[in-house]
This record gives sequence, structure tokens and C-alpha cells, in this order.
Amino acid sequence: MTIPLLEIEDLSAGVDGKEIIKDFNLTINSGEVHALMGPNGAGKSTLSNILCGKQGYHVTSGRIWFKGKDLLKLSPEERACEGIFLAMQSPVEIPGVPITAFLKHSVNAIRKYRGEPELDTMEFIKMVREEGKKFNLDAEMIKRAVNVGFSGGEKKRLEALQMAVLKPDFAILDEADSGLDIDALKIVADGVNALRDGKRSMLIITHFQRLLEHVVPDFVHIYADGRIIKTGGRELAAELEQTGYAGFMKENR
Amino acid sequence: MNTLLSDIKLVGDELPWLKEYRAAGRREFARQGIPTAKTEAWKYTKPNRFLSTDFVFDPRGNNKFTVPAVNLPFAAHKLYFENGVFLSCDDDLPSGVEILPLIEALMFRPGVKNKLGALADMTKYPFAALNAACLNEGAYIHIKAGTRLEKPLALISHVTVVDRAELYNLHHIVEIDENATAEVVEYYGYTGAPKSSYLVNIVNEITVAAGASLRHYKFQDEAFKAGHLALNTVKVAAGGLYKSFCLQKGADLARNETQVCLAEENAAAEVDAAYKMNGWATIDTTTDIEHLKSGTTSSQLIKGVVGGQAKGVFQGKIHIAPDAVKTEGYQLHKAMLLSDEAEIDVKPELEIFADDVKCSHGAACGRLDAEQLFYLRSRGIPKIEAEQMLINAYLNDVMAKVDNENIRSWIKLSLGSNLPA
Repeated sequence: MTIPLLEIEDLSAGVDGKEIIKDFNLTINSGEVHALMGPNGAGKSTLSNILCGKQGYHVTSGRIWFKGKDLLKLSPEERACEGIFLAMQSPVEIPGVPITAFLKHSVNAIRKYRGEPELDTMEFIKMVREEGKKFNLDAEMIKRAVNVGFSGGEKKRLEALQMAVLKPDFAILDEADSGLDIDALKIVADGVNALRDGKRSMLIITHFQRLLEHVVPDFVHIYADGRIIKTGGRELAAELEQTGYAGFMKENR
Repeated sequence: MNTLLSDIKLVGDELPWLKEYRAAGRREFARQGIPTAKTEAWKYTKPNRFLSTDFVFDPRGNNKFTVPAVNLPFAAHKLYFENGVFLSCDDDLPSGVEILPLIEALMFRPGVKNKLGALADMTKYPFAALNAACLNEGAYIHIKAGTRLEKPLALISHVTVVDRAELYNLHHIVEIDENATAEVVEYYGYTGAPKSSYLVNIVNEITVAAGASLRHYKFQDEAFKAGHLALNTVKVAAGGLYKSFCLQKGADLARNETQVCLAEENAAAEVDAAYKMNGWATIDTTTDIEHLKSGTTSSQLIKGVVGGQAKGVFQGKIHIAPDAVKTEGYQLHKAMLLSDEAEIDVKPELEIFADDVKCSHGAACGRLDAEQLFYLRSRGIPKIEAEQMLINAYLNDVMAKVDNENIRSWIKLSLGSNLPA
């Protein structure tokens, strides 16, 4: 029997002494794409930040297993090296750090962790440029500092580009569709779909069905008040879109 | 420090004026004493604790005449100083450049004598007095009119740490004649286990003649128990340019003080600096730019990164004399604190006695951005490297002030890594 890629067991966690996630359970196997849908302020980003080890959150109880390892004991960089990637909701600007140099450093840090040789600089830059084209980010943009002067949509496309370059085993897309026009949404969705290879897993966090029309999930979870209140297939997203969160929650309480 | 004041026999003592110059230095140093917290110019950088050690001044006492194995990754005409002794100078100097050991120049080049102490005022700066008392080593550098030096001159001042606390005293006189162009690099480094303390005391007297330009780069990387006190005094004539960049990252107590006198019309100065330290070090950058005539301009960008329980000090003064109309003077100091115990002390001063001038000063202090740090770490970059990347990015704009590309990459590399930015 193979172990699940990610297992979240009875997780309770919060920030500033306030409990946001309550007895949360979720299991994701290799190759599965899960969508976590919930209203604003339900703590969806808290979950993704805890999964990636961001400081400032505290876990009061529960365990998280990733590839059988105790995830909460790993630093953010170790989690990335183990294969977790978070496409952030609001990626921060980092003036003075060029994208190519940053990405090369990132790729090589992960390769080093895995005992693989570093990549040749010229080949790497060529590869990033090729990938960049897929996300409509040209060579000039890739030379710029990380996210500096990028529009909301450009930031999201850069997150998707990083995901394509880093090829994680498990990608979390936190509101990857917010702020995207329909063309940009298509670009990001195509990039995400290109990474679906039957082995890679994803957790798509969103409160609209929009992205899920392009990236069709295997499972949909409705998340409210700190826990999953209903799990279903792709049709659940459409159902939710009809009733809205308020109606849905009334029915499912 | 008192033992320093005993009468040691030094080269050139047979010249009455030189003997008297040294005696005047001893008297002035005794009169002023080591600055304390009550001395306004030294109130943040308190050298008295550090200088409670009795430093031995014994030039050539160790007889170490081996040229240090310091490799600079750029082509340069190199001058080597080992433990405060002028050892050698590359002999392939181009025409228009003259370099002599200072005492030799003082003895045999008429006119050089008048330059000694002309800019560095030993009655106001106690360590210039100490420097005069111990005047024995240094270089006289003369770039003749119209010379355009292609390679920089590199003054490599290296210490092989010995098991007693020693004073290394250097005094350089640099003359850039009319319309000449030159670059001078000063490097301060060491080898050996930094068991004991040592003190490097430098005075530079630099004149930039009309239409001439000097780019002056300095990298201070002394041992962590060392002291480093430098006074750069500069006078710039009409249309001349003095542009300096100083990176300090070594020493327990360090001060790089730069006094520039823009003495004639349209003289310009740019004094930029960066510092980065941890532990218990104090690194001080002090500037004093004097605008005497119209059309003179100055700008300063100083950026620091301070961790541990270290302290960064910046004191910057811009003085605009009544005649100095249509002048511009800008100054900006920014620092990043990496720990709760790190400290920054900043004292900007503007003294403006003329109308029609443009002047500004600013100071800012920040921390590593937690969001940026998390972003980099979430992409697999180890914390310490992510911090270094952000620090390098933070210092990027001040590094860009180094015009010479090879020297810039050397300084960036020396800052700790080959990481981006």
C-alpha cells in the first residue's frame, strides 16, 4: 500500500491566539487535484501558509504528514525541497533581486537538497525563457526584479511560471485566479494543466468556480468555519455557484 | 596608549623639522587625549574602551618583509604594506605617475614637505596627532598633469596578526595634478588567528587639482579584534572631482572619516559608503563636506547592515559657506537592523550660510522584510542565503556607485557571496 502524499489529521491552528482552523482533516494522494472552496475570511490562506511553514501561525493540535514525514517539523525551505510549492495569493515585490537569478538559485537549492548537480547557467536561462513564453512573460520581464512593477495578473503568471520551472510534487494554488482577466486565466490554467501528469498533486484554493472550469478537479471540498463541511466531485463546485455560500451553508449545517 | 608617546628613533629624525613635526604630534596627542563619550565628534563611537590596550609601536621591529599573498581580482599597480611597513611597489608604473615611500619623498622632493599636515589638522583630530607622532611609513603618490591612469593604483595594507597588540601607522599624500584622472584602491586585510588586537591608524591627504578627477575605493576587512581609524582629508580645485566609496566589514572598532573641501568653483565630491557587521563591532562613517565656492556639488549615499549587538554610526556634515551660491549638497543614510540588539546612531548636520542652494539630508532605518524572506524560503532557498540575497539587494543601489565594474564585482563578492543582486 502506498502512503498518501499529504495527510492532514485533526489540525487546529490559528494566528494571534485566534483559532481559525478547527479539527481539519484532508488526505491527498499522488496525482489527485483537489479544490478547496470557501467564502472570504474562512481561513483558506491560513491553511496554505501553515502547509508552507510561514511564521506567525500556531498549530494547537493535529499532525500533517507529507510523503510520510512530519511536515510541521520542517522549515519552509525544506518543505519546498521536499516538493511543496505555494502559488501565493499576493506575491511580494522583492526589489533588487532579478527573477532569473532568484529562480536559478531556487532550482539549484532544491537540486542540492536532493543530491543532484547544479544546472548550467546558460541552459537554465534558455529554459526559463522558453517556459516564460508559455505564460506570456517575455525575456525583458524575466530580467526584472521579482514582482516589481508587475500587475496583479503578471504576478499570478509569474507564480505559474515558477511552478512550471520548479515542477513540485504538490502545488497549492491560493486564489490563483483572482485579478486575472479571461485571457490570463486561460494562460494560467493551461500552465497548470500542463503539469497534470497523473503523479503531481494539487490543492486549488478558490472561492469562485471560474478556475475550476479550466482546471477540472477530482475532488471539491467546501470549507467553512475552519473545517470541511462537504466533499464531492467536480459537480459540487457548480452546485455551490448556484446556491452561493450562504444558501449552501444553511442547507449543510 | 601612553607608551606610544615615548621618544622612539624614527627614519629622518636627523631632519630638525621632521623631528619637530613628530614632537608636535606627541604634544598634541597628549594634550587632546583619547576621545571619550563627552567628546562631541566621538560621542557614539567611544574609542577609549578599545584604546585602553597599550599598543606597541615598533616599526620594522618584527622584520617581516614578505610581500603578503593578497590577490585582487582586477589589474592594478600594486603597493604592498605589511604590518604597517611599506614593502614594495610594482615597478611598471606608466609615465606621469610617481610613487615614493613618504619619508623619502619628504626628504628628497622639495615641496612635499609643505603638503604634510596641510589638510589633516592634528590640533583638531587626536589620531592625526598620533599619526604625526608616529610618522614613519606611507606613500607619496603623484599623478602628473594630464595623465590618464588606465589601471587603478592599489594600496594593499595587510596585517599578519602577531601575539602582541601593535600599532600600524600610515600616512599617504596623494596629489592629482591638473586634468589628470586616476583610481586609487585601498584594501585592508589580515591573515592569522586574530588572537590579539591591533590598531591601524591612517591619515590620507589628497589634493585634486583643477579639472582632475580621483576615484577612491576602500575596502576595510580587518580582523575582528582590530581597530581601524582612518582620516581622509581632501581638497578639490576648480572643476575637479573626488569620488569615494568605502566598504567596511571588519574590525571591532572602525571609523572612516572623510573631510572634503570643495575649495573652488564647480568642484564636486561624491562620498558613498556601505558597512556590514555582526558581533560587537562599532563601525563609524563620518563625513564633512565643505562647500566654499559657487557651483560646487556633493552627494552622499551611505547604507549599512547591522546584526548581533553591533553598532553603526553615521555622522554627516554639509557646510555651505556664504560665497557658495548655486551649490547642491545631498546626503542619505539608510540602515537595516538584523537583530533587536543592533544599534544605529545617526547625526546629520547642515550648516548653510548662502542663499540659492539645494540641500537635503535623510535617514531611514528598517529590517529584513518577513514577507520577502518567506517568499524566498518557500522556493527552497535556505534562510541564511535568502537573508544574504535580501541584504545584497538592499545594498545594490550603493554598490552601483562604484563606477569601475571590476572593482564593483570584487566588492560585491567580498560582501559575502556570489548570490544574486
